[in-house]
Amino acid sequence: MKVLVTVKESADIADDFAVDDDGIDETYVEYDLNEWDDYAVETGVQLAEAGIADEVVGVTIGPERADETIRKALAKGVDRAVRVWDDALAGQDLLDVSTKAHLLAAVAEDEDADLVLSGVQASDDSFGATGVALAERLGYEWAAVVSDLDVNADAGEARVNRELEGGLQERLTVDLPAVFTIQTGINEPRYASLRGIRQAQSKEIAPKTPTDIGVET
Amino acid sequence: MLDYLGLGDDLTEEERMVRDTAREFLDEEIRPDIGEHFVEGTFPIEKIPEMGELGFYGPNLEGYGSLGLGERAYGLLMEELEACDSGMRSMASVQGALVMYPIHAYGNEEQKETWLPKLGSGEAVGCFGLTEPNHGSNPSEMETRAERDGDEYILNGNKTWITNSPIADVAVVWARDVSSEDSPVRGFLVETERDGVSTNEIKEKLSLRASITGGIALSDARIPAENVLPEVSGMKGPLSCLTQARYGIAWGAVGAAKDAFEQAVEYATDREQFGKPIAGFQMQQEKIAEMATRISLAELLAHRLAELKERGDLRPQQVSMAKRNNVRMARRVSRTAREMLGGNGITTDYSPMRHLANIETVYTYEGTHDIHSLVLGEDLTGIAAYK
Repeated sequence: MKVLVTVKESADIADDFAVDDDGIDETYVEYDLNEWDDYAVETGVQLAEAGIADEVVGVTIGPERADETIRKALAKGVDRAVRVWDDALAGQDLLDVSTKAHLLAAVAEDEDADLVLSGVQASDDSFGATGVALAERLGYEWAAVVSDLDVNADAGEARVNRELEGGLQERLTVDLPAVFTIQTGINEPRYASLRGIRQAQSKEIAPKTPTDIGVET
Repeated sequence: MLDYLGLGDDLTEEERMVRDTAREFLDEEIRPDIGEHFVEGTFPIEKIPEMGELGFYGPNLEGYGSLGLGERAYGLLMEELEACDSGMRSMASVQGALVMYPIHAYGNEEQKETWLPKLGSGEAVGCFGLTEPNHGSNPSEMETRAERDGDEYILNGNKTWITNSPIADVAVVWARDVSSEDSPVRGFLVETERDGVSTNEIKEKLSLRASITGGIALSDARIPAENVLPEVSGMKGPLSCLTQARYGIAWGAVGAAKDAFEQAVEYATDREQFGKPIAGFQMQQEKIAEMATRISLAELLAHRLAELKERGDLRPQQVSMAKRNNVRMARRVSRTAREMLGGNGITTDYSPMRHLANIETVYTYEGTHDIHSLVLGEDLTGIAAYK
């Protein structure tokens, strides 16, 4: 089976920063792999290591700069990646959930993914909605805030635990294909090894425009 | 950390990723407890395999499980390790530059296949036996002897100041082969579990406390004749290893200094006396300006060495210049940083005094500061002062 992991380059503000007229100067902004997506990447890579996933593909929406973030996912074991961007997207102030879900769904369909893993939320905009909106658009089953995952590819289903309020857990079985939003703590994300970093340099990051994947923006 | 000249902007993506992954690992796994290790005189031994899996040992070597990583990326790794503690960098230097390097450069196929993957992964720990109780700066006077006896060599002698000897599985021991003409210095792979080999730990150090140090005593230790490193004879063997390790030290010293600098600046901008941060006083600013300048110059030197090493033009004397300069720089910077922290600076809550104490070791190991002066003196005048 093929696993697609959505990865976001999330912005963080340096400890000391200055506010000018219309925001925070770019020099004070640092970008890194979104914390929740790090757990989703680890989940995908562990599925590959267990022989359950044949291929783990990463996808991100972002400018060329975001290659560095997705390269980190490649260094941790993701096989290859797709990066979606064009000038129209660059011109938008904030990408809303529905646009992101639209673009990610097009990639998921293009890749014919059996399982899509996404972080619960991004550490910068904290919408927490992209994964679920993506499932809706794809018409896939879904579970949000997943804290334990056991995929049975032959049976075409996955047993998941999802976090509820007040420390409660819901345990359920979800038919594949499905989208799961992965909660921190589900595993212990690995550090990128030097070997992984070296291998990642020759892994593919395919730049695509929305038009390439059949989305009109 | 300080990057006043923007050298980080010119790194390749791979180099940045190596630096960042090392920093992330150290921040999360080592830094929180390093002060305690220093106080207790212990090394985070349980992290040795994880550091191996991450590729911290000999990544710049080619093949046999190693990665063929570029020399600048390797240097940045050493800088990050020593920014944490000189003991961390020493571990990686010994394993990679002093044990894996000679096996890689001078070993036969079987020795390489037996040892390099295990040492690289941290499954096995190695140590390097050159210095003896009576022979430090002049190791060619070594007393340790290897005598051929049938298919074996019999080793006798004492080695000391050996990083990791008490936890090592194998020692690269340099000894005079008295069975050969002119008794050349040869390298021997000595498994520490063999009869006649013992390793004592040197405790009560006041420096490099988060690092395990010991001796190697060889008393009629018998090793198979095939354990000799076949491809090298003479002092070139151990000296070429030291050039590799000193390259890492030149980078590492920059890391230790930067870490001390960062703590001093952070402290000085927070700490208020006479109604303003002490960083607002001219005497503190002069110290900060001086530290930043010295660090940046040393960093340039390290980056230049990387270029020369990458293209195969690096001379040992150039490494001596960088080791000598950069360690002296780190010694001065960590002392100044400690001073700016006042009384707080003498505790393990802050890194400068730990770095300062560590650098005292680094200043005189791998060729003392003074010996490197003489190496440069000979290179520049053609007259050897120590002969």
